[in-house]
Amino acid sequence: MTETRDGKAASDMLAVDFCGMDFATPLVLLSGCVGFGEEYTRVAGFSNRDVGAVCLKGTTLEPRLGNPPHRVCETPMGMLNAIGLQNPGVRHVVEEILPGLDFSETRFIANVSGSTVEEYAEVTRIFDDSPIDAIEINISCPNVKEGGVAFGNDPDMSARVVEVCRAATRKPLITKLSPNQTDIAENARRCIEAGTDAFAVINTLMGMAIDIESRTPVIGNNQGGLSGPAIKPVALLKVHQVYQVCRGHGIPIIGQGGVASAEDALEFLIAGASAVGVGTALFYDPLVCPRINEGIRAYLQRHGLSEVGQLTGTLVLND
Amino acid sequence: MKHRASIFVEEAAILSHEACPGEQYILRLQAPRTAARARAGAFVHLQCDALLPMRRPLSIMRADAGAGWIELLYRVVGAGTRRLAQRRPGERLSVLGPIGRPFTLHDSHPRPLLIGGGVGIPPMIFLAQEIHQKNHRKLPGRTQPWHPLLLAGSETPFPFKPRPSQILIPSLPPEVIAAIPLMEDWGIPSRLASGQGFPGCHDGYVTELARLWLAALDETALAEVEIFACGPHPMLAACARLAREFGRPCQVSLEEFMACAVGGCAGCTVAVRTPRGPAMQRVCVDGPVFDAETVFR
Repeated sequence: MTETRDGKAASDMLAVDFCGMDFATPLVLLSGCVGFGEEYTRVAGFSNRDVGAVCLKGTTLEPRLGNPPHRVCETPMGMLNAIGLQNPGVRHVVEEILPGLDFSETRFIANVSGSTVEEYAEVTRIFDDSPIDAIEINISCPNVKEGGVAFGNDPDMSARVVEVCRAATRKPLITKLSPNQTDIAENARRCIEAGTDAFAVINTLMGMAIDIESRTPVIGNNQGGLSGPAIKPVALLKVHQVYQVCRGHGIPIIGQGGVASAEDALEFLIAGASAVGVGTALFYDPLVCPRINEGIRAYLQRHGLSEVGQLTGTLVLND
Repeated sequence: MKHRASIFVEEAAILSHEACPGEQYILRLQAPRTAARARAGAFVHLQCDALLPMRRPLSIMRADAGAGWIELLYRVVGAGTRRLAQRRPGERLSVLGPIGRPFTLHDSHPRPLLIGGGVGIPPMIFLAQEIHQKNHRKLPGRTQPWHPLLLAGSETPFPFKPRPSQILIPSLPPEVIAAIPLMEDWGIPSRLASGQGFPGCHDGYVTELARLWLAALDETALAEVEIFACGPHPMLAACARLAREFGRPCQVSLEEFMACAVGGCAGCTVAVRTPRGPAMQRVCVDGPVFDAETVFR
């Protein structure tokens, strides 16, 4: 194993302490991209050990069938999705799925959604009584009629959801913020007051694609969430803005949106993220994570840094 | 988990890329790990071009485990397949495969009826190859245990040159003699249908040929039939109705827009009936092959 100048093993350079959780690397697989944690292990060479954490599919109190097809479509350097929170319900997740996960591989984070504040609290409470490592509150899903982004775009409602979830768990609480709002920094401030431990920035941007022959939206739900490289500049600015609020509170950020390479991940770290989410890029290259890890490690060595955390928020703004 | 490491990422060299009429292409790729595990009904998820952020799912038409290649047939339908069509032999494509629950042949149903429509023909060729290999492995002196029939329909010119069949099918009209050359070589009866007036083809739907054939079978032979179908949704619905009418099991292969293709994103689901009520199942790993009754009833 190679060592850096201060003797730190190369594998440890990527380790991150995120809200007390030991992430092996700063990479986090994003909710909705990897099912309930086992799906990508179908791919030979893929390992959950290559990432610091895996966010499980958005989970509600009762099972949901989700939206009609088409649920996904390609757009310029991105894709739209409107899955509609298809999931088997929190009890099934806790009783049938979590026991099958290997918690020695990585940290597993639940993603909680609901159509009422009470539902968020109840789902969080049920996950609190489970081996899950942390809970992400999804107040930014653009693809459901109730809850989701309707809560996330209103700072009062966002804070209210965080407050009730905070009361329902002592596990690390990560609030996933929407880019579809006027002042993301103000929303972040309110969520910190309400007790969030961390943020995930950003969820997808709302968008549409149209079939010009049928003159109908391509996506069955008419509109969907835009992800992929197309949204990276938006995501970077949002991370930078939220970091200005978080830095004084020691609140870490998972920066996400269009990350497909080590260079992308480094940009997010420099902008203020402590960890970096990978989602849509997996669809193009299921083995992208070890390559991103390798690229980050090479960058750290080249810049004489001993650990990835030293990069967080090192952005130097132009005068 | 038993499914772990069952799908491979391979940088596959293009061995040949043949243009056929109707903007159709036959693509042969050196992908030995995929070829070794591929079964009829399985598909691969291809990077068509570095500038496109999503892969494209294409069903496998043939695989040669010994030589390590797979063959795909596709029609240009959008940006991905248009760019794929420009790729040349010698270039490499990232292949993710083999993916999906394949067709299942049952020994109790040794008269498989294979129905393919348009770009749904390739999986039927693959299934015919599997049946041919099963028959080929028979012990000397035994009669061939499997008696398949392949019916294919297309509204664009077929991606092969139809050949007058040397294999008699008494229950079908004598003027319908166009067959798939590869099937003739394998000794498997096949017939073609099209509304475009192609010579030797049935003038109409492929399912009309299927009905004629099924209706002429005696009770014992009919009980040995299982239907396998891949093609446009209306054709699959017609196959499902036919199967119900004749009381035969039917497996259909579906397609849907796909993102991850490994079960992670739930982007490619279809509505199905299950013993526990309605459900949305993923075409990529719960399918693409489904029991027709669960999808079309």
